Formats: sequence, structure tokens, C-alpha cells
Amino acid sequence: MLKRLVVVMFMLTFLAVQGVQPHAQNNTLLIWADTNRIQVLEGLTEQFTAKFGVDVVLQEKDFGAIRDDMIVANPAGEGPDIAIGAHDWTGQLVANGVIEPLAFLQNDRSLYDPVALEAWSIGADIYALPYATEAIALIRNTDLIPDEPATFEDLLTVAKDLTDKEAGTFGILINAFAPDPFHSFPFISTFGGYIFGKNEDGSLNACDIGLGSEGAIEGATFLRSLIDDGFVPAATGYGDMTGQFNAGKVGAIITGPWAIADARNAGINFAVSKIPTIKGNTPGPFVGSQGFMINSFSNNKELAVTFLQEFLGITSTQVALFNVGDRAPALLSALAEVSDDPTLAAFAASAADGSPMPNIPEMSSVWGAWGDALSLVSSGESDPATAFTDAAARIRDTLGCN
Amino acid sequence: MYKRSGFLAMSIRHLVIWFLIAFAVFPIVWIGMASLNPSNSLITGGLIPRQLSFVHYIEMFSNPRHPFGLWIWNSIKIAAISSFLIVLMSALGAYAFSRFRFKGRRAGLLTLLLIQMFPQMLALVALYLLLLSLGEFVPWLGLNTHTGLILVYLGGALGFNTWLMKGYFDTIPKELVESAMIDGATPFQAYWRIILPLVKPILAVVFILSFIGIYSEFILASIILSDSEKYTLAVGLRLFVFGQYSTRWGVFSAASIVGSVPFMIIFLLLQRFLVSGLTRGSTKG
Amino acid sequence: MSANIIKVVFLGLTNALGIWAATGLYVTSNWVLLIVLVAGLVLLDIALLKKNAYPLRYLLPGLLAFGLMTFYPIVYNIAIAFSNFSTGHILSKEQVIHHFENVYYQPEGADRFSSQAFRDGDRWLLILRSQTNGNLFLGLDGELIPLDPNDARLLYENGDIIAFNAMTPLAVRDLVANLDVLRSLTFSEGENTVRLASLREYRAEKRRYAYDPGTEKLLNLETQITYVPIQGTFTSADGEMLDPGYRVNVGWENFQRIFQNRQIIGPFWRVFGWTIIFAFFSVTLTFALGLGLAIMLNNPYLKLRTIYRTLLIIPYAIPGFISLLIWAGLFNTNFGLINQFFDFWFQFKIPWFQDGLWAKVAVLFVNLWLGYPYMMIVCLGALQSIPSELYEAAHVDGAKSFQRFWGITIPLLLSSISPLLVGSFALNFNNFNVIFLLTQGGPPVAGAQTPAGATDILISYTYNLAFAMGRGQEFGLAAAISIIIFLIIGTISALQFRMTKKLEDIGENL
Repeated sequence: MLKRLVVVMFMLTFLAVQGVQPHAQNNTLLIWADTNRIQVLEGLTEQFTAKFGVDVVLQEKDFGAIRDDMIVANPAGEGPDIAIGAHDWTGQLVANGVIEPLAFLQNDRSLYDPVALEAWSIGADIYALPYATEAIALIRNTDLIPDEPATFEDLLTVAKDLTDKEAGTFGILINAFAPDPFHSFPFISTFGGYIFGKNEDGSLNACDIGLGSEGAIEGATFLRSLIDDGFVPAATGYGDMTGQFNAGKVGAIITGPWAIADARNAGINFAVSKIPTIKGNTPGPFVGSQGFMINSFSNNKELAVTFLQEFLGITSTQVALFNVGDRAPALLSALAEVSDDPTLAAFAASAADGSPMPNIPEMSSVWGAWGDALSLVSSGESDPATAFTDAAARIRDTLGCN
Repeated sequence: MYKRSGFLAMSIRHLVIWFLIAFAVFPIVWIGMASLNPSNSLITGGLIPRQLSFVHYIEMFSNPRHPFGLWIWNSIKIAAISSFLIVLMSALGAYAFSRFRFKGRRAGLLTLLLIQMFPQMLALVALYLLLLSLGEFVPWLGLNTHTGLILVYLGGALGFNTWLMKGYFDTIPKELVESAMIDGATPFQAYWRIILPLVKPILAVVFILSFIGIYSEFILASIILSDSEKYTLAVGLRLFVFGQYSTRWGVFSAASIVGSVPFMIIFLLLQRFLVSGLTRGSTKG
Repeated sequence: MSANIIKVVFLGLTNALGIWAATGLYVTSNWVLLIVLVAGLVLLDIALLKKNAYPLRYLLPGLLAFGLMTFYPIVYNIAIAFSNFSTGHILSKEQVIHHFENVYYQPEGADRFSSQAFRDGDRWLLILRSQTNGNLFLGLDGELIPLDPNDARLLYENGDIIAFNAMTPLAVRDLVANLDVLRSLTFSEGENTVRLASLREYRAEKRRYAYDPGTEKLLNLETQITYVPIQGTFTSADGEMLDPGYRVNVGWENFQRIFQNRQIIGPFWRVFGWTIIFAFFSVTLTFALGLGLAIMLNNPYLKLRTIYRTLLIIPYAIPGFISLLIWAGLFNTNFGLINQFFDFWFQFKIPWFQDGLWAKVAVLFVNLWLGYPYMMIVCLGALQSIPSELYEAAHVDGAKSFQRFWGITIPLLLSSISPLLVGSFALNFNNFNVIFLLTQGGPPVAGAQTPAGATDILISYTYNLAFAMGRGQEFGLAAAISIIIFLIIGTISALQFRMTKKLEDIGENL
């Protein structure tokens, strides 16, 4: 009796669950964007849905997590069709085959800032539709430093008078020693330092590390002199630099367009200009570019391309993105529309002197060693020559160059 | 264990405790001050900000993309359910390890503890893929579900919590269980009706520890949850601080303060269990 | 009797469901879930059917969750440790081959077209307008037929084609609904294939690669270079390597790399030493403070106890990463409150995160703040389990409070929570969060050819290596390192458990 009962239950259940179906897939576009950009995208996705009848889901992600999440999620089929990103992710993403080269951009090259396109290129392929370029420049408090300094030496002269330990005011603050290699690059490049050398065909040679070169060492020495001469306290971090500037206690800082919103809100009167020449050399900062990428595992690539072409590669969108992010638009028509903004013009001029941050995956090995070298120089434990030569050797070692 | 102390001894105790309270509470006071400071910086330069304003608190609740209230509720819900289940499962396990004499008892429990010491650097990828597969068969247990996340947290139930409880269970006199069984109760009934009420302090302890552990957890939660309405508070807060040059300290501070309130309430409620429930002498004679 | 019926029905149901699910999992090659399901079912059956497996019923839910969420990731980790899962080797072989087979390029002179789609019953045709020279083509049955702009079948309005042969072009929404059909429409233009590029565009492209499954070689049709898979990467005879590669088993290679790499082995003893010190002091300090507070707060004669407990638990109420960011701010060398205090009273600022020694002090201090509430709660709970008669008896025997503490409280407390101390040691041994969020392992050590900083513990150091080495994420290496760290801390803990066994026996034989 019991046995029969068991068998009956067994069969009933077995039959019942046969009706369970897996859920079907609809045409939906999934977009990953960060907090700021999402506001702009919201209006666009509504228009897209109205026109094409395709649902668009916007997911807000922490910008810094997007690259690594895409590497896991895209091959698993859970990745976004479109994602926002920074150009220096290109190397890793392409090495893992998770983003798609955008063929249509090849024909639209003339519409975009060539530096932005170069930043997003690996070989001849362009991997994102750029929407912004950025570079750091000199941001000065015009109440404290009314005139644009012609040379860095002039700047330091003015800064000297402003620096008062007792009152807690500073003529100039930089956070290069936080350590923040990104912010230290203009000083390295101004004397001829570089990160990766170039091969004949223009691609980067990962084994030619310029951090150990004379130019880099001279740059580091110059940075060190800023500490020795009392301008910059050794361990100044990014938050310190901007916090003090926004409190009106600093004459000038060197950072990028992302920082001016807070300065504006704090009521500081500021002006932006190129980083002044150092010993006659023009400092060239890193140029970064942000753009929209397409998932190579997406089932909706054509729709994604359409969205990029018709809604993101247009002047109004790029201007809107500029308005929330303060970064120069990459679309030339949008750039022209906002170019009467003096702040923007200054950042753009700074970027024109700069070079794109290397986008090859080997760059991961560089940041740590470079940062450590800066720390050692700032704490005084190593002199610039030793610290940077060691860093270069360490990077070559890690990459297996010898 | 305690006897009445003199006034001086008691005063010293109070002083020491107040000193430690200052040590404990100081950073929270600081972030509370930062939350009332309208500027967006954490390095305010002084403890009391020049202007006091609730602008960040208002901002916190006014962005529909960042539903802090919902996030806090999600955190409470997930932490409470998980902790409840963890306490249940842990107590069951502790009872088994304490009362039943079976082979490999101690070794088994210690092996479980040892295994949990494995560094879980890659657990994220493994669990992500696991929930992905699971979600294809049981949609309500997959990625981006609260139930899936709870299931992940349950994985840690049998561990140190069980040990802690087992130690407590060990101190319950065997006679209590034996006399109940003589009266016709099954081991499970003895467990449920007699033992459990006696071990309330340790149940409360495990609940509190699990609750706060899960409430604060953000690494697994941020991998598993992708819709912003499903976020827990810890995951949502990450959006505010992990941009390298874009930390929004103001709202972050306000949210941290508000977010810590639920736990304080839970702790206040459960505090009274942290006193002895053991009645000695109930089986004398 | 009724209990038996319930048991049987339950077993029948679950086994049926289980077998149905298992077949589904088998068909989709979901081995992990399959194994877990089968193991779970077997255990369930044993637990409910075998009399002397009675304790298993109590352990089963916990064991299942444990197996799935804790044990399985470890198995996964071990599997990865023997593979080359890393940047450039994330995908599976099928995915990589699929990738290469779908790489297209635009050869010289390849054309691109804007398209309009027309539907004639089951037949589809396109009108394609070249973007380079404006020529019109009819795309039908795989062929591109030149179309005269003045063809009678075309109807224009304002220069746009609005009808062909009395058919109107599909609206965008219909195009979206029929995306699959549009994708299937391809045409040949000389050697090139014209394919869908976006909703209303077609391009002439050529496949770049051909894969031969027999020889496993990839041929670049444009350059005629052949690539052979070596360890998951398609490599040419010149050594040119193509991205992406796929993950393959590499045996013990990751482990060999660990032991042969100067950067890893060099600072090992220094980092290991600090890890032990860090874990030891973390446990000791938090336990001492936690126990001290627990004893004080347990005193029934202490007024305001409840309030004190609530206030003292506050460090625990804040999620860890928030507190760590706050403490990093407080310890800020130039502007942080702690240094402002020192500067005001003692005229100097301590280089908290720039000096190796001070960084270590800061890290231990913060860990104390973070960890003492846990110990306090645990001790508060465990203190309840000490029978009060013991104290009364000792008091009657004339023992002083000091003697009562060391003779009764400590041994009995340790007997119940010593494994937790062992666990806390292990937790702090692997306490990645505190180190990473506070100091990132820094400050760097001068002259070292390695990325190991002064406060790096084994796990933060190896994390750094795995994710900042070579080309980025080296999961395989990280997995191998995790195994080694586990062997180290596992051995230490096993030994510690041995030592605490004696303490436990006191508690059990009460």
C-alpha cells in the first residue's frame, strides 16, 4: 500500500513538472553606465524605445567595477549590450575578446577628435564611440593668483608668498606623491620621460620602459624639489588637494575637469590654463577618453550599433554629457558648440600637448611600481634615480622582458 | 561572581568605560559631523563644521535612482531572514554535535572550520557562475535575486557559530534531556521544547553576529545583485565612494549614519537575552 | 504510523523532483549542480531511512548550504589553479573559435549601403543604396542586382523611396521584430559578403579567419599566416600571438611560477612574519579588550549597563569598508584629526601611512577598534554559561577575585571559545579588507624589487601580484597562491586546535 503510494506520488510529480518551460528572451538592450551619465541616458532610452519598440534597461554601476565585471559577465551571457568605459580598459577587454570593434566608426573618423579615436584603437580597430576626452591642467584660484603664470618658475615665485604653514595656506598643491602616478605624468613627460616606447609601426613596445630614462628621473627630481622647497607637504592626497582648494586655501592645483564641479559649488573663483612650461619644456599630461563600448557576446549588436549611431554619436547628446561631466566632447561638432567655454578651452589646450594613456594590458604592471617609486621619493627613503630605475627594472621583470 | 563594590571602584569603572566609549564612538561622531557639513569633503579640518545643514540627508532621499530607504529595507530583510535561518541551522547542527555521540564528531566539526579558512579570492567568480546556472533552473534562486543571495549567505551557517553554540549546549545538564525522553519525548521534541529556550543567550549572540556580518557585506552582494532596486545599503554606498576622483562624501556620510540605525535597534531589542537563562537546580533530587 | 506516511510521501516527492532536475542538468552539462543535487538526494535518503544516521538529519540543511556555497568554490579554485585562466585566457575554446570565425574586415573598395526592406509574402528583398557612389541595388536571393534609379517600380517622395512594386518598406519596428530574418539575408559582391551592419545598413565584408577543426589551425585569409594553438593561444611561426586565447589546463605551471619567481619568493618570510604578528596581536588585543568590557558589563551592580553596551557596540554597527575609509581619513598625515591633535599638543605630525612602523601601528589600532565588539559579544554570551555555583563555592573557599578570574573564568571561557580565537586568528591572517582599504599594503619598502609593502600580509600581497602582474588578472596564479596560503594557515590552525583540545575537555566534563 505504502509502496504504491510512493510510486503514484513519484509519477504525479514527474508529470507535473514536465510543463515547466524556460522563460523566453525578448529584444531588450541592457546598458551599464555610471551615476552621472545615467541621467543623460534616461531621456535617450525613452526615445529609443518609442521609436524602435525595444525596451532599454539602464543599470547604474560603479564605474571602476565595469571593466572587471564585463570580463566575467559578457562571456556568461549576462553582460550589458552597451557599456560606458575608459579607454585604458581597451587592452584587457580586447585581450579577452569581450568587446566588439566598431566598423562604422572607420567611415566616421573625420567626425571625432583623432586623439580620442587613437586612444580607443588597437591596431586599426576602434573599440568604442568616444564621448569625452580629458586631461589635467592648472586650476588656479583667481582671488589668490589673478594672472596666468607664464612659466612654472613664475608660478612658484607667486606660490612662495602664498605658502604659510601657520595659516594653513598653500601656493600650490599637487597630489603626485599620494602616490598618484597619473597626476605625476606631466612632470615626467616634460623632460622626455615616457611609459612605453613605440615600435616602428606605431604600436607600443611593452619592454621599452621609459620610467627609468633620464627624462623620467629628472621629472621625479623636480617633483622632489617641490617638497624640499616647502611648497607641497609630502603626503598630500587627492582629497586633501581638492578639499583645501575648495576651502579657498590653495593658490593652484593640477587636476582634471572632474574636479571643477565641486569648486564651482564651493564658490571658488577659478581659471584653468595649461600647465606652465618647466625649464622651457612643455609638460604633456595623459589624455584619457571615455566612450560607449559594445559587448561582443551581445545578441543585439545591430540594435546596439543603431543606438550608438543615432543617439550617442550626435551633437545634442555629447553636449549633454559635457554638461554633466565637464569633459571636452569627443564629437567635433559638439566640441565646436561648447568651445567658447574658457575652462573647456584650457583643458583642451592642455590635452593637445598630451598623449593618450597607454591602453595595452601590460599597463597593469606599471601603476604599482611607478606609485611605489613616487612614495619612496616622497618619503625620502630613496633618491629619484634609484627609485625610478628600480621601478623600471621591476616592471621589466614582471613582464618577463629580459 | 560579582559583589557590591565601593564608590571609588565603581567610579573608576564608569570612567574607564566612558573613555572607551569615546574611543568607540569618535569616528562615528566625525562622520556625523561630515554629514551635516554642506561641502563634499571628508577632511573638514575641524570637528564641528562651519555651517550645519541637512542638505545631504534631503539629497539622500530625493534621488529616485538611489532609493536609500529601499536599500536599507533590503538590507534589513536579507540580514534578518538569513540570520534567522542561520541560527536555526546552526542550532540544529550544534545540538547534533553536542548531544549525539557519533564517530568523527569533533574531527568533523573542526574540518568544517578549517575548510572555511580557505581564502575566497576566487569565490566571487565561482558563486557568480553557480548562481547563473542555478537561475536557469530555479529562477527565484538565481543571480539578481534576494533569495539567491540569502542562499549564498547560508553557506556560512555551519561554522564557528555552530562551535560557539555547541560549547553552550555542552553546559546543559544531560539529565534534563534524559528525563524528558523518559517521559516519552523524541530527541527532536526535547531539543525544541526544552533545550532551545535554555540557550537563548547564545541564539541571540549568533543572530546578532550573523546580522551585522550580512548587513555589512558588500562584495558578494554587489556581484550578485544588478538591479538598483534590489541593492542592499552596503552595495548602494559603494556607488558613492569607489570612483577614484569622485567620492561624494556628503551623501555617503548621511547614508552611513542612517544605515547604522537598524542594527542599533536590533541590538537593543536582543540585549535582554544576553543574560543567563540557565536555571540551575531544575533537576536536583 | 502517520510519521512514516509523511516521511514516505516526502521522500517520494523529493526524489521524483530530484531525478527530473538531474536529467535536466545532465542534458545541459551542468556538472557541478548535478553532483550537488545527487549528493544531496543520497544524503537525504540516508538520513531519513537509516536509523543510526539520525544525527545527519540535523546536519543536512547546514551541510548542503556549506557544500554549495563554501566547498564548491574551493573545488572551483583548485580546478582553476591548474589552468591558465587569466587575461587573454578567459574564454572557452569554443568561444574563441566562434570569435575568430566571426571576425570580418572591409577590404579595399568594399562598399557600404543604406537599406530598406520589403516583404512579399515569404520573400524578402532589400533596396540598397551605396554610400560611396549612390548606386542602387536590389538585394534578392543572395544576389545584388543593379537597379536603375528611374526604374518604373520605384516610387519617390522628396528623394526618398517610398514604394517598390507597390510594396512599402518596413517600418523600424517591424525591422526590429524581424531582425533574425535581416541577419540571414546575405549577398555576394565579388569576393565579399554583404551583411547586416545595423538596423538600416549593410556592409560588404570578408571573413578574416578560417578554422580547421581537424588540424586545429587558424588561417588568416588576408595574410595567409597560419596560427597553431599553443597553451591556449593561437601563435604563428614567428611567435605572433592572437588575442583572445582560451583557457587550458597547464598542470603545475602556476605553482612552479610561484616558487621560481623572485618577486614572490623574495619577500615571503618578511611578509609571512608580519602576517603572523598582525594576526596574533589582533586576536590578543581584541580579546583582551572584549573580555575586559564583557566582565565589566556583566556586573549587575553597574548602572546604565544597557546603554553602555549599546554605545560600545557601535563600531560593529557600521559596515567595515565605511569605517575603514573614515579611519583612513582620520589618519591622514597632513590634515587628519589625529595628527591635528598631535600637532597641537606635541608639535609634530606622525607619518602614519608613510612610515613602515607607524603604518603597522595604525593598522593594528584600527583592527582593534573594528574587532573588539565581536569579542565583547561573544564573551558576554559565553560568560553566561559559567555556572554561578562555581563562583559561590570558590568564594566560600576564600578565593580572591583575581584567583576566581584565572582559576574559573579563564579556563571555562577558553574551553568554549578557544576555537573562535583560532578562527579569529585565521580570519585576521587573511584579513584582506583592513590592509587593502587602509594602506593598500604600503608604504613600499626601499630597494625591494617586489611590490610587497610594509603592511602587506600574505593575502594582500598575493592579490596584488595576481591582479597587477603581467597583463592584468591572473586568476590561475591567484588560485594557486590561495591553495598555498590555505595550506599554511590550515596547518597552523590544525595545530592550534590540537592545543586547545585539552581546554575543551574541561568544559565537556562539567
